[in-house]
Amino acid sequence: TTRQQGRQTQSQTRPLPHRLAHSTPQSQQETQVVENKNVALFEHLYKQPRRTTIAGVSKDVYRDVLAEGKSRLKHYAEPADNIQMIESYVTPPGTSLPRNLTLLLSPQIEYLGSCRSLSMSTRNAIRWLKLLINDVDIETAEEKAKSDLCEAIDNFIREKIIIADQLIASMASSKIKDGDTILTYAKSKVVTKTLLQAHAQGTKFKVIVIDSRPLFEGKELVQELAAAGLDVQYSLTHAISHLMQSASKVFLGAHAMLSNGRLYSRIGTAVVAMNASKLAKPVIVCCESIKFTDQLALDSIVTNEIVPPNELLLPEREGQERKQALASWRELPNLQLLDLMYDVTPADYIDMVITEYGSLPPSSVISIYRLSLST
Amino acid sequence: MSFAPNLSSFLGSLKESPTNVELSLQTLVDLFKRRQIRGSRQCAIATAHLLKQVIRRFKARDTVSLIKRVQDVGQKLTDAQPKELAISNIIRRILGVIRDEADGDKEGDAFQNYSSSEPGTPRKKGSMSPPQGQQNGVPVIADLEALHRPPLLTSHTSYMASTNGPIVTSMFSLLSQPLSDTSTPGSQSPAQQLYSSFNPTLRPQELSAEVIDGIDEIIDELDNMDDQIASYAIDHIHSNEIILTHGTSLTVQRFLLRAASKRRFTVIHAEGYPNQHHETHATITGKHKASSDGDPDQSDVQRFAKPLIEAGITVVLIPDAAVFALMSRVNKVILGTHAVLANGGLIASAGVKSIALAAREHRTPVVVVTGVYKLCPTFVFDFDSFIEYGEPGCVLGCAEDSDLIGKVDVENPLHDYVEGELVDLFITNLGGHAPFSLSSVITEQYRSEDTDLAVGN
Repeated sequence: TTRQQGRQTQSQTRPLPHRLAHSTPQSQQETQVVENKNVALFEHLYKQPRRTTIAGVSKDVYRDVLAEGKSRLKHYAEPADNIQMIESYVTPPGTSLPRNLTLLLSPQIEYLGSCRSLSMSTRNAIRWLKLLINDVDIETAEEKAKSDLCEAIDNFIREKIIIADQLIASMASSKIKDGDTILTYAKSKVVTKTLLQAHAQGTKFKVIVIDSRPLFEGKELVQELAAAGLDVQYSLTHAISHLMQSASKVFLGAHAMLSNGRLYSRIGTAVVAMNASKLAKPVIVCCESIKFTDQLALDSIVTNEIVPPNELLLPEREGQERKQALASWRELPNLQLLDLMYDVTPADYIDMVITEYGSLPPSSVISIYRLSLST
Repeated sequence: MSFAPNLSSFLGSLKESPTNVELSLQTLVDLFKRRQIRGSRQCAIATAHLLKQVIRRFKARDTVSLIKRVQDVGQKLTDAQPKELAISNIIRRILGVIRDEADGDKEGDAFQNYSSSEPGTPRKKGSMSPPQGQQNGVPVIADLEALHRPPLLTSHTSYMASTNGPIVTSMFSLLSQPLSDTSTPGSQSPAQQLYSSFNPTLRPQELSAEVIDGIDEIIDELDNMDDQIASYAIDHIHSNEIILTHGTSLTVQRFLLRAASKRRFTVIHAEGYPNQHHETHATITGKHKASSDGDPDQSDVQRFAKPLIEAGITVVLIPDAAVFALMSRVNKVILGTHAVLANGGLIASAGVKSIALAAREHRTPVVVVTGVYKLCPTFVFDFDSFIEYGEPGCVLGCAEDSDLIGKVDVENPLHDYVEGELVDLFITNLGGHAPFSLSSVITEQYRSEDTDLAVGN
């Protein structure tokens, strides 16, 4: 069904190499020893430690949601919806569906949020779902109400995610011309789709993938592109000013588009966009309108997500007798490790945002956001 | 101890066999070619020591052939590692010492009071040169060296066409001097200069000894450079600042460490992955032996640096991708560099360009700390020719990315060219310089006839 498809596209697994190893409860305990290792500047972002077990979860949380939450612990996926619970939902006698369902939804969302902070698209989807549930007429029969809701959700996933992705990919791939060298950063699903589609259409172009520590998401992109037979060049953030000279266009994915036209995306995106705009290379952002938000930010400090710092440690190599210098960083006074998830790219660096509604300048984000609310 | 030859083993071999100059030269050329001695500081020290040996063993009795000999040796060294600009800078300095001694001998007869009456006082007070002298009790050694230099050349621009002959104090030099000459002190009139002629056969024994002294001063300067640079730290870092730095520069570490003796601040340190991160981690943790595939030469020197965290400074290690995100809270960016070109542009570690750009975008001042031996008089337009490339294996490891090897092109530049306009302040062992006054510092360092050392000849 569409829903399953949607869930697949959305939660396609992106395993993180050393997440599991480091987020064991043991390493959580280490945090409490001696010194506060939180970076003072970002104290507001270290809320509670990220949930690592399902212990203590409210009993109202549905099984499917639990499973979703668990997979979120392992993967950097962005599921827009976790709504299978509605199918197994039975309105308790004595209450109406809208009121009870809304109440029930909150622990689910809270649980998901405790696994990893909710992405902009998830928040938008939840807001939409709550409105939808509120609109259900109390008089409607329960079975009818449930099937109506599920259908609406299916449509939502199809429109906002699957079709939106296809539309964006075909629009963006038409921007790639023969002889182009496309530079991209880390891995974005829509950008991957765009590049593969342009290649399938027979356009002859090169791709430069810039990647960064500690996630190395770009390696996956390289894997996919190389498998499709594309000409790929790979390097890390240090080479960006160098490789930018040979690029002709820059394609970036988004985690969210903020209403002041800024791009909230994987950390390092701002560095790439800045280098591109200094050399007057067009920067094109591919972003579904579900990721548009009315939030705004001026810097990357107020809103962000902190990755557990142990992920910055270098993987221990086999046969290496001596320990990495950083291995015992928690015992060293005054030393802190900081790994942020996102950064905010100024709107000046962005030339074009491609959404399913068309291509527009970053200044139009807010109007697209309003438009997508009304549809 | 590592068995691979490095700087200390080379210096040891110089001591052991002081007579076989050709062998030492060949050894150093090989070490340069194999990049077993690398980094501007190590190359500079090795070059200075070798040339000292060359000059000590040189038998000819006139300056012209001594200069020729140094130029020949210099050519071999720069050919071995053309991207290490410090080598040619040291050769230029030494050529300058020889020329100065040759000129000075003649001058000394006519104006004996210059060098004998007030030793330690700079003879020339170029209006563009920074305040010099005793700084925190550390004598600025370059002054002594500048003592023997005729003031005539101070207003040459480093990149102007120069006469390559050994004769400096000629009509040509006088004519190429701009009319609006404010930097030449009035102590020596052009007429007097005109009379002092060049005598190539004057007292060769003494000359050679004086040149050796001059080279020793240069070597001393290389050794004490970081201390002198660090003495300016208090002037530039104030309390509770957030400083961003990058990579493993020992000069930067000592600069920050000196500031830490008086002030409390926070350092955000970008790690410089994939070429420098082992060294960076070792530098901030103070565990130098921990890095297994780091550069052993580097560790030899760096072992003597105390990590900042031990001085009570909070150090935050970040991946390189985070520099833009954090720049809005950074008060100053302090960077080391590999070389500084005559136009003020930097050849610095890869990734520094992005930091400098991000700093400019946030109007954050960028301070570059560097020894004067990294300032090059060469003016080039093809900046990419100075960029060296590293092993692609650092970017894609053989073990963990075996499935990607062979499918992709991997690029690993070691250096970035950073425009001088992105730098707000240079701090050298001579003091602080605004970027636009850098060219006058460069001019004072080298004789203009040596500018074309590597490029022209």
